[in-house]
Amino acid sequence: MDIFLQQLANGLTIGSMFALVALGYTMVYGVMKLINFAHGDMVAASAFVGLTIYTQVMGQATSLVAVIAIFLLTALSMAVVGILLERIAYRPLREAPRLSAVVSALGASLVIQNGIMLIWGPRMRIFPELVPQVYWDFGGVVISLIQVIILALSLILMVALYLFVEKTRMGAAIRASSIDQDAARLMGINVNNVIALIFIIGSSLGAVGGLFIGLYYRGITFNMGWQYGLYAFIAAILGGIGNIPGAMLGGMLLGLFNAFIAGYVSSTWADAFTFILLILILIVRPTGILGERVAEKV
Amino acid sequence: MKELQKFAYPIFFAVMAVLPHLLNDRWQAVAITFLIFAVVALSQDIILGKAGMFNMGQALFFGMGAYTTAILNNQFGWPIAATIPLAILIPAMFGILLAGPIVHLRGDYLLVVTIGFNIVFVQVLQNNLGGVTGGPNGIFGLDSLSLFGFDLMSQVAVYYFAFIVLLLTLWVMHNLAGSKPGRALHYLREDQLAAESIGINTRIYKIFAFGLGAGIAGLAGTVFAVQYSAVSPEAFEFIQSVLFFSIVLVGGSSVPGILLGVFVMFVLPEIFREFATWRYFIFGFAMIAAMILRPRGIWPATFGKIPKFLIKGGSHGAQ
Repeated sequence: MDIFLQQLANGLTIGSMFALVALGYTMVYGVMKLINFAHGDMVAASAFVGLTIYTQVMGQATSLVAVIAIFLLTALSMAVVGILLERIAYRPLREAPRLSAVVSALGASLVIQNGIMLIWGPRMRIFPELVPQVYWDFGGVVISLIQVIILALSLILMVALYLFVEKTRMGAAIRASSIDQDAARLMGINVNNVIALIFIIGSSLGAVGGLFIGLYYRGITFNMGWQYGLYAFIAAILGGIGNIPGAMLGGMLLGLFNAFIAGYVSSTWADAFTFILLILILIVRPTGILGERVAEKV
Repeated sequence: MKELQKFAYPIFFAVMAVLPHLLNDRWQAVAITFLIFAVVALSQDIILGKAGMFNMGQALFFGMGAYTTAILNNQFGWPIAATIPLAILIPAMFGILLAGPIVHLRGDYLLVVTIGFNIVFVQVLQNNLGGVTGGPNGIFGLDSLSLFGFDLMSQVAVYYFAFIVLLLTLWVMHNLAGSKPGRALHYLREDQLAAESIGINTRIYKIFAFGLGAGIAGLAGTVFAVQYSAVSPEAFEFIQSVLFFSIVLVGGSSVPGILLGVFVMFVLPEIFREFATWRYFIFGFAMIAAMILRPRGIWPATFGKIPKFLIKGGSHGAQ
């Protein structure tokens, strides 16, 4: 039972990080029908940007205000990178064959990943201890303050995003564009702005996810983006790609699945089991748990 | 362009045939690497370029061929030459079995599933399933290739082995282009619905493309195992698959385009060694620029067997 509760707590923590990153994939896919391969590397980059903001701008302060500032500044910088990415690598290819955009996304991924390596070096860097190491022991089940913060903040962000997409005019524009871009344009929606908006939201949420990864795992490497990116993308598919609540649910489920595999089976097989799960889901129910918003033949 | 190719191919083959005698050891090794990766990229082209299936796991079949040769030679004492049929058949069979349940998936899903296959494969190798794969270190110390009692140990011999494999691959692809399955693949890539409605069994041809591409990649794996006399999991990571995927699309799914892509991706870095750390950074930009400037690839393939008067406008590139 102890293992179960412990892995439940760990799974929810990892799951909320997957979910934050998955939202970026699913929103871009929903509107542009493109796997943004660079998103995982953007997440990795945000951990490094956060590290630099901490050492260079904040003078290694760890007060609450400083930590909040680090999160905001990192999210802001990644939002700018996200807009640039869309402008440079994706916008010129919107009318091109689909595979050209995929290759461009892969190229952007290589650029960002190796850009991190050229700037911060190929070795693993240690992410600063922004949150005090506080642990609570509930009869053998250890929960850390970091886990609580990650879970709480992720939930707040996800609820906020959900409300934004469902209740506001801009949210309605996003939903309309992901159903049919041309029809949305005819209704007077500026789809270019919508796409810029989803890159801003996706990149900022990914930036928070990247900082969480740094806080939780501590060691950050330039090429970690592919790993987390793939997991987050699987989470998006799991919940039904293009579907925003689906990405949240998929992320949580994948985190739990991963934690239980690591707890009960073996952590060296975790990747393999995750992908076998993905393959089975795609064979049995390709539209994911909640079904995809993308109206297209699978 | 057609006239140019008439002369370019014989010149290319002639140069490649005498090449090892003009190079020193190090460049011979680079040339062999070029040949091996050219074969893998061409095999990827059958699945991705010709059949239009988003396969991002080609390193899996390449690795399966290499490991088949390595395991049979190292653990069971088979001579290298005797492992070749199985190094083709096992990946081909896996290609068919894996493709069976997934070929109906839409492009992006297929892409993620094939990435998944590749990652599961590497993890199986690393965890030493069945105790034969040698774990993370792989298998080293393979015999050299010997045929009819001649020991083909020298690097020049390996070069010609690789060269023959490349010629064989080009011959298969040339025949494929003009054959019934080749035309079927072309139609189903251009428009699957139309292909189905004129009676092409798209499912069978898609699986066929997977099997053929996997078998050729497996053969390239044998050459790889012979050249390095070792195999290890990281040579078949899915990032390699990403490179093959990109080479085919940036090259434009044509033979000259793909050979050019392999040259740029694997030979140029050897020439400009001082830029080694900048390699992928520059490639990334090059990939974006190539796609923006030429969305159908640098050297787009043309489907040559349709008479001119039948083509009305229209484009014939990878969709």
